[in-house]
Amino acid sequence: MLSVEEIDAYYGNVKVLEKINFSAKEGKLLGIIGPNGSGKTTLLKVISKIIKPSVGTVLLNEFDISKMGRRELARKMAVVPQESSTSFSFTAMEIVLMGRTPHLKRFETEGFEDLEVAKRCMKLTNCSNLAERQIDELSGGELQKVVIARALAQEPKVLLMDEPTSHLDIKNQIEILELMKRLTDDRLIVIAVFHDLNMASRYCEELILLKEGKIVSFGRTEEILTSETIRNVFDISASIKRDPLTNSLALMVIPKKKKEKEKIKESLRIHIICGGGSGSILMHSLDKEYEITAGVIHELDTDFEVAKALNIDMVSEAPFSPIGDERYEENLDMIRRSDIVIIANMPVGFGNIKNLYAAISAIEDKKEVLIIDETPIEERDFTDGEATKIFKGLREDGGIFFKDMHELLDRLESIITKNGKRALDQNSLY
Amino acid sequence: MKRRWILILIALIFALAISILVSIAVGSTNIPLRTIAKIIVDHKRAFLSAEETIILQIRLPRVLLGILVGMALSVSGTTMQTLFKNPMADPYIIGISSGAAFGAVLAMRLSPTLVPLMAIVCAISTAFIVYNIAKVGGKLPVNTLLLSGIAVGYFLSALTSFMIFNSGEGLHQVVFWMMGGLWGANWDRVEIIILPICIGMVILYLFSKDMNVMLLGEESAEHLGIDVETLKKIMLIISSIITAAAVSMSGIIGFVGLIVPHIMRIMVGPDHRILLPTSALAGGILLVLADTMARTMGEIPVGIITALFGAPFFIYLLRSRKRLY
Repeated sequence: MLSVEEIDAYYGNVKVLEKINFSAKEGKLLGIIGPNGSGKTTLLKVISKIIKPSVGTVLLNEFDISKMGRRELARKMAVVPQESSTSFSFTAMEIVLMGRTPHLKRFETEGFEDLEVAKRCMKLTNCSNLAERQIDELSGGELQKVVIARALAQEPKVLLMDEPTSHLDIKNQIEILELMKRLTDDRLIVIAVFHDLNMASRYCEELILLKEGKIVSFGRTEEILTSETIRNVFDISASIKRDPLTNSLALMVIPKKKKEKEKIKESLRIHIICGGGSGSILMHSLDKEYEITAGVIHELDTDFEVAKALNIDMVSEAPFSPIGDERYEENLDMIRRSDIVIIANMPVGFGNIKNLYAAISAIEDKKEVLIIDETPIEERDFTDGEATKIFKGLREDGGIFFKDMHELLDRLESIITKNGKRALDQNSLY
Repeated sequence: MKRRWILILIALIFALAISILVSIAVGSTNIPLRTIAKIIVDHKRAFLSAEETIILQIRLPRVLLGILVGMALSVSGTTMQTLFKNPMADPYIIGISSGAAFGAVLAMRLSPTLVPLMAIVCAISTAFIVYNIAKVGGKLPVNTLLLSGIAVGYFLSALTSFMIFNSGEGLHQVVFWMMGGLWGANWDRVEIIILPICIGMVILYLFSKDMNVMLLGEESAEHLGIDVETLKKIMLIISSIITAAAVSMSGIIGFVGLIVPHIMRIMVGPDHRILLPTSALAGGILLVLADTMARTMGEIPVGIITALFGAPFFIYLLRSRKRLY
């Protein structure tokens, strides 16, 4: 067990770590996450005795590492740095053999046993085929495997890694992380700094969250990784959900609401009637340029989540209940305030039929009503024909129909110009 | 040790032996090899013939001095390049040459016989001063070391130039000394520097495995159990001493310490366990052959020869291998 107790560390007069306390056990992959400059790398350097803390101790199986010699520590702890220097032409095998340095007497050369250890470690990291290659000719992923093999050749009890996957492509990232996982299972203490929160959440059992040199939280991954903590520490909004396929937490960053969007058509308001995910793309593509409102959307619906994420003004109803009169009226208000109403390609049931009534009143209010009619209404009508009847009425009363969303987006510009001209015409009447 | 390494070492030792023989044979009087062999095997007579005097009192000490100086500069150059992780580093990088030149010029104004002594004293003092300027809280950051070496070097060069400018006479001698040459060679000089240079090279060789690990970067080396700060100090102090010893006897011979390590790295690879001994042998060979040429061309400074012939050879290797490390 590795325990870090009450660590304070300074760079000159600047305090970079404060009151760091945690312990790492065998068999659990411990991740360190936090924004740039939060002290992640410094913490690794304190643990590996590169930086001496001003207060506090690091104990490895109850032994204080500050009382161990470098060689003794190197037999117990190995470090995989963020980047490895490769400006010389050692072969990969020679590099891995250097991992045996702490086990060799001062003037001893590597023997048969050391060669066996090196071969075993290269096999473990899946890089035996590189043994005779020169390291300045290896790719980033290959080099990283060789460096990890070198660390393993030290036969350590603790393995520290500083962003082990930061320079790798996705395939190599996964390969290295799977390897770390296997190593952890082999009773090794593995502590790694991560930048990629998704990777950290997927592979680490436990996380340390650092901010400004302090531990914000330390514990099981699902307890640490919440929208709340992410917002506090990284200053971004994110949605964190358990991905059913991998059964691990997945983090999605929600873009910040632009301050007072620079909308070209500032005055133009578009109201989107949608549901069941039919309005998501519309909202994303139109939100950049226009003032968007939406409703009535049921909570828990994908469209609800999107509208919330984009900070779109909307009317929402409790999940699985029909649209109530109050919400219906609110929706009508919103429609009255908008210039264009779009009805997305949504399924219509008794729960949301009132949205179509709202569309009728929009037409009566002389609004432009644009209807996406991608799936024939009969197939998405769950109201015993009522919705189909309303659609027919909308078509007769001047609703504009589009065969799909892309056609609508393509033609929206010209419709708006016409709309603008009409507004101008109306003005000239007075 | 790998078989390839042993073969390379044998080949270089053989080449060194031939260089020694050639160098002894060739000169203002050419002496046949058979005579040389006879003289070396059996010379314990009271009266020396002319040929024996030339070989034993003039050429042999000069050849040995050349070997020692060439070895010292090459090994020191290799060590400095590893210490600074910089291919431009050479034995003189921390100002040792400027210190030695300062000492030599000072000595020439007092008494020319003091030149070697003053050179070595000033060279080692310079290294000591630079080392202490660069040291920060027990650590030795190589960039600071490099820069303080350059600064102190320029300062001493300025003093030296000022002294030369003021003195007027003896100027030619000083310039000659600064270009470097082995014309002052005798057995006394060999005896003075053979121990420090040989012991220094052995000590550096004992740390060759650690120097390999140093190439991975200082932090990685520490993670592999190397006490980096101590190793850096050992490398710096020992290579300063052997460089100072060489400079005190031969003046400032350029190029050998910079280029031999590169040539050997291209030929045998970066592993110091083979790089250090092969660099030493190659440095000895290069300097002995260059000195022979300098002698036969009328005692021109040997530094001119080493650069004139070494540089094109190095460029050729560079172009054909395109890799320095």
